[in-house]
Amino acid sequence: MLYDVRLELHYDYKASVHGDRHLVRVAPISIPNAQRVIASSLSFEPRPEQETTFADYFGNLVTTIAYAGRHDHLDVRLSARVQVEDLARPVDLSPTLGGLKQELATLWSVAPDSPQHFLSASPRIPLALEITDYARSSAAGDQSVYATAMDLCLRIHRDFSYDKDATKVDTGPVEAFALKRGVCQDFAHVMIAGLRGLGIPAGYVSGFLRTIPPKGKPRLEGADAMHAWVRVWCGQHSGWLEFDPTNAMLAGPDHITIGHGRDYSDISPIVGVLRTSGGHTAKQSVDVVRVE
Amino acid sequence: MDKRNQRQVRKRGAPSLVADYKLLPGVPDEMIDAAGQIRPSWAPLISALEELGHEELGGRFERADQYLRDAGVYYRKYDGAEGKERAWPLAHVPLILDESEWLTITHGLTQRAELLETIVADIYGTNTLVQRGLLPPELIARNDEFLRPMVGVRPASGHFLHFCAFELGRGPDGGWWVLGDRTQAPSGAGFAVENRVATTRALSDIYGEMHVHRLAGFFRGFRDALTGIATDGRVGILTPGQHNETYFEHAYIARYLGFTLLEGEDLVVDNGQVMVRTVSGLQPISVLWRRMDASFVDPLELRYDSHIGTPGLTEALRQGTISMVNALGTGILETRAFSAFMPNLCRALTGRELELPSIATWWCGGAAERQHVIDNFDTMMVGSAFATGLAIEDQRGTVVGGALPEAERQALRARLEAEGGRFVGQEQVQLSTAPVYVGGKLEPRPMTLRVYAARTRDGWTVMPGGFARVGSTQDSTAIAMQRGGQAADVWVVSKQPVERVTLLPTEGEKLVRMSSGSLPSRAADNLIWLGRYAERCEAMVRILRAYNARLAEISNTDQAILKDTRAYLDGIGVDAEVPLPPGLLAAIDSAVHSASQIRDRFSPDGWLALTDLRKTARSFSQRVLPGDDATRAMTVLLRKLAGFSGLVHENMYRFAGWRFLEIGRRLERGIQIAHSVAWCTRKGAPEGALDLLLEVGDSVMTHRRRYAVSAGVNSYVDLLVLDPLNPRSVRFQIAELYQQLEQLPGGLEDGHLSMAAKAALTLDTELRVTEPEDMTTSKINRLGIEIGNLAGLIADAYFV
Repeated sequence: MLYDVRLELHYDYKASVHGDRHLVRVAPISIPNAQRVIASSLSFEPRPEQETTFADYFGNLVTTIAYAGRHDHLDVRLSARVQVEDLARPVDLSPTLGGLKQELATLWSVAPDSPQHFLSASPRIPLALEITDYARSSAAGDQSVYATAMDLCLRIHRDFSYDKDATKVDTGPVEAFALKRGVCQDFAHVMIAGLRGLGIPAGYVSGFLRTIPPKGKPRLEGADAMHAWVRVWCGQHSGWLEFDPTNAMLAGPDHITIGHGRDYSDISPIVGVLRTSGGHTAKQSVDVVRVE
Repeated sequence: MDKRNQRQVRKRGAPSLVADYKLLPGVPDEMIDAAGQIRPSWAPLISALEELGHEELGGRFERADQYLRDAGVYYRKYDGAEGKERAWPLAHVPLILDESEWLTITHGLTQRAELLETIVADIYGTNTLVQRGLLPPELIARNDEFLRPMVGVRPASGHFLHFCAFELGRGPDGGWWVLGDRTQAPSGAGFAVENRVATTRALSDIYGEMHVHRLAGFFRGFRDALTGIATDGRVGILTPGQHNETYFEHAYIARYLGFTLLEGEDLVVDNGQVMVRTVSGLQPISVLWRRMDASFVDPLELRYDSHIGTPGLTEALRQGTISMVNALGTGILETRAFSAFMPNLCRALTGRELELPSIATWWCGGAAERQHVIDNFDTMMVGSAFATGLAIEDQRGTVVGGALPEAERQALRARLEAEGGRFVGQEQVQLSTAPVYVGGKLEPRPMTLRVYAARTRDGWTVMPGGFARVGSTQDSTAIAMQRGGQAADVWVVSKQPVERVTLLPTEGEKLVRMSSGSLPSRAADNLIWLGRYAERCEAMVRILRAYNARLAEISNTDQAILKDTRAYLDGIGVDAEVPLPPGLLAAIDSAVHSASQIRDRFSPDGWLALTDLRKTARSFSQRVLPGDDATRAMTVLLRKLAGFSGLVHENMYRFAGWRFLEIGRRLERGIQIAHSVAWCTRKGAPEGALDLLLEVGDSVMTHRRRYAVSAGVNSYVDLLVLDPLNPRSVRFQIAELYQQLEQLPGGLEDGHLSMAAKAALTLDTELRVTEPEDMTTSKINRLGIEIGNLAGLIADAYFV
């Protein structure tokens, strides 16, 4: 599947800012056998005085920008052409939870992709008893880790309401869990917290999702959104598999990956440090267009 | 009985100091050997103390404490939301260690420091230790001190560790154990120096005779090493600021070694290069000796909620433009569970055994180890595997199984079974005891030893000394200072005379001059405010004194001059009805606060004068009555303020720092005088206002001499506004301001004046050509405002 992705982030500062610095993580990465970035360009307005790009610990592309002079707005523009492979639905070869724990005990690796990084609390995801209890009913019996993850994914979709106004970008999973509401980020955080509580390694995926307009309606420009879902380590043989609790499905050819992390904080689209007396307003628009 | 006979009497009987010294069963003592004899290395000290006698000793130890108070040595004790400053708790009797024993420690710690370097380089490099099964992956992957942004970043200096501290304890068999490694941002080296200075104040004669190894050589080596890795010769000490528990020490070390004390906001990262915001603009720096925990260093890539960091520092580290001492991420080596793996790591990496063993530690992530901890649950110290503090100091997180109520025992055991990887068990240490002087006698108290190691060009060196921490009771867990423990100096004694070293440059050594332009902007800002607040206090005190003197003479408080003066004081935030008005106390507090942020640029005497002023003012506020009493109190405060000003004026080197302090004083004095002249010479000012003005302006004599026949409003304006020779005239302040501004970086370059210098010169010129009769009240008021505007111009030029 070949896509053209366009993202625009726009920030208006009420009072002008200066001496600010930002980390931007919006450019998709190439993933062997799954996703290939054919072209990608990232630009900023006003033009930053300093700009560098590097790969972070988890292999995500990060661009640092810094401004010395004053400015009252910041535009981030990404356009990328990405080839996403349509992978066959995985056959469940994952171990049981007990088997998984044994595999983990003998997995002597802390490479960035090692599941060892994805087992405990992370900056935005505490391990909460109530979420673990909720997840536990997906692990009843002796089913596979894959089956547990899929069951939890479907239950979150069933039990939670998608509600843009219920949570904010810094809402934690405990609060979202209590509300049973939120957006993709909240659903992903809750699912990750639940899986880790059970001892199943789980991480956060940031990306884009192609939305298919209702029959007979035209596709609306900029109506797509950034998206987030979950990846789960299903044992040595199956490796990482991706689940989308917002849409009750496995991530598939419509999911375009920006990058991976333990939670939102590892792969948030933009973080910045600035001094200002006023607040700011933000706008975002995303277009995912299938090329072929 | 003469003095000689007294000595003999003492010598014949049992030595009174150690007569009741009762050894704890099964625990070695530093001073007394197993046979009950004073160890040879201690003998000269004990007999010397013995000879001095109780009274003399008391006096000498008081001198040591006095030194610490005078030097302002404190640490912060946390018992509420805001930590309080506490006097440094010196245990006066030093710990004596024989040189040969010191050598053992030195060898052991050198080996350990090198081993730690290898381990941390692997953790942030290729991670083979995990692959080889020498370190369990979860101790890294689940560790908050594992800083992922630092993986793959090679330190610019080539090394991760440059300065480490180790906590040692002597076990029942007499050998030393390493209780903990301090690699994050070890504190206390400066306190070790102050301990030494204070202790030798009390015992200088004994110290001189005992061949005690000096500390200065160690610091000199480390200073030269840091200067050596600084590509541009510039080294800074990065402090979290004055609220940190050991801020005093950061300021002390900065002053001692001649490094710049910096806070996160003093730094900015410009194109990958770390720069200091100075009064001469941005200046590069290439080595930061970090005294804050790594995760706070950069709010952008490390802890997002850090308010004390510098955005972009991680980027600078990636680009290799700055050396961090120690590298970010080295805190992971302090993880308590690592102690369990040190013996194996040492064998695997060096083929040798640890020369100084780690305290026996079992990580409960392993089945056999977990079982061992459960089997010995009652006598084990059980705590978090990821704890970084010493088990004996950790009051909340570490427990001894046997000391728990049954329900909690069961719960902890269950957790050990379920999630063992989160726990470690450590053997309960029986620490050796050392003598502490209590009420005229020596008593044995448990002790630990803190030792410092520094990397130099020739490898690791170990400070011959450090400090010993002794418990407040005989319980080993009462060693922490937060729990009443004390710190003693450590004397490593030699049989031969030792080399005397100082930090002063020796003959033939290249003299390094610090440039005056490297003053950080934040420090300059604080200096200006210190000058302003000190001067504001003086202005308030002078008017309050004049007011109270009149109040004492006139019983009617409704009299015009009193009402008028109250109104004036009210306008500057001072309630004259209160003898020591809160507005004045607040101004004094502000002066102390400004000074406290720049302790490294400030002489201990100046600091002492300022805190003494505050103490006096506070005690006055409890008891001083209006009128005569308050007049006298104000005279005392005025004298103390003059003392502070004198100390600063006479003793502070004329660096940029002094200039900013001076600018602050001149700005404030100019403003205060202009406003008081405008007030007292205004139309409708009550009778006596002009007299009061002269008194406040300290110009009574001069006025009488100069204007004997023609006194009138104009003569007052002439003397207090326009006179170029009266140090209390507005014009004098402006002329001084101009002088200082011209000398500042960028003040006068290629014949061009800075904006601030121009503005000062313009004011000066205006005053030169103005006649007293043209100086209307509104013009004088305007003058005060113009001077205030100068402050804004200075801030724009130097503090942005």
